[in-house]
Amino acid sequence: MEIDRRAFIASLGGAAAVASMSDEAKADALEHYMEDQLDAGVEAQRGQTAPGQPETFPTVADIEAQIETRPFRRGTGSVFTGQRGENVKKITPMPDKPTLQDFFRLRFAPANHVLQSATRAMKTGMSEEIILACLLHDCVLSLIKPDHGWWGAQLFEPYIPEKSAFAIRYHQTLRFFPDEEAGYEYPDQYYRIFGKDYTPPQYIQDTYKWLKNHKWYMEPRLVTVNDLYAFDPNAKVSIEPFEDIIGRHFKQPKEGLGFDNSPSAHMWRTLARPDSPL
Amino acid sequence: MRSRILTAGAIAIASAAVLVAQPPAKTVNGLQISVKSVARAERTPLRDCPPGTNSVNAVQRPGDELAVVTVDFKVMPDFKPVTMKRATATAADDKVYNTSIQFVDVGSVPEYSCQFVYRVPQGTKLKTLQIEGASFDISGLESK
Repeated sequence: MEIDRRAFIASLGGAAAVASMSDEAKADALEHYMEDQLDAGVEAQRGQTAPGQPETFPTVADIEAQIETRPFRRGTGSVFTGQRGENVKKITPMPDKPTLQDFFRLRFAPANHVLQSATRAMKTGMSEEIILACLLHDCVLSLIKPDHGWWGAQLFEPYIPEKSAFAIRYHQTLRFFPDEEAGYEYPDQYYRIFGKDYTPPQYIQDTYKWLKNHKWYMEPRLVTVNDLYAFDPNAKVSIEPFEDIIGRHFKQPKEGLGFDNSPSAHMWRTLARPDSPL
Repeated sequence: MRSRILTAGAIAIASAAVLVAQPPAKTVNGLQISVKSVARAERTPLRDCPPGTNSVNAVQRPGDELAVVTVDFKVMPDFKPVTMKRATATAADDKVYNTSIQFVDVGSVPEYSCQFVYRVPQGTKLKTLQIEGASFDISGLESK
């Protein structure tokens, strides 16, 4: 079987993510990738996707039909699932007083997507509040996926500027609504993951209507603009360029995240101990 | 022999037409800019300028089409790092369209080609492309 090296690296979250993997993990990942390619070949033979033809996107019904083919739900946070439903691995314990950087290293990793998004925001001259929002906007996907905008904002709200939290909360809504004026196109990947005939639920549409006239509309919009470009498998990114912005805008609790009695402390503890039975 | 001469003549005329159609190169912020082509696509990658390998695409919607303007850039010796605004395109009816393609690290590669994507109503003809202070007449690059 021929392997498209670039596509394979992209499927793992980029070159930086691959560099941080052990040889065993790389071998596992390659095996899984080849299995996926094989599955795709079988699908093509069934006539669902013809090789060399333009991609055909699934419908909402197609995606719903996949639910009972998985041993986990799609909305489960990534720290709770093994790859392709396999057994999970032991997780590295967090330090006693964990910082945001510790969570980036041990729970959000590889975090390539958010680091790329924030890097681009920095290079295109965005405000520090927006750069911080881009850096944090999808971190909560390690914990939970549905309504990740709201969950993400709640997780970070006690520690970051109000504008950054607003941007994280509502970027989820604005992802469904293109704004060519601001430079945001509806991404083809949404046809892939939600279905080509997907319509956002009513509460998302109502939120969008409200946001359109909000004085801070552009805050979450700028997160979506930078979100769109944060899927480059070859981009080299790290958290180091953001240390100063984190230092200025993230109120790191001296007790450590999870132990400061903040309204979201329990969410940090859950991320820290995903194997806890209760 | 005669047909060869005719073919050669046709190629020469076509080449001249392309040369006439292409607007002259201009230098902006130490970047030599040449507009190469205007095309239409049903689906096209959204990549920054200079391009990375971002895998997100724009897809045509009913009633719209994606106009893709290809532009070559060359970094000149007097280039100084600068943040550049997104390129805009003006249609024949003077309506201005924005692209989602953004300039990022424009001096990082000596020469590169970018594709600026504009979502326009079907049948729209683009007249000019604006990059910073420079305007390029692209009406000759549009297919008739």
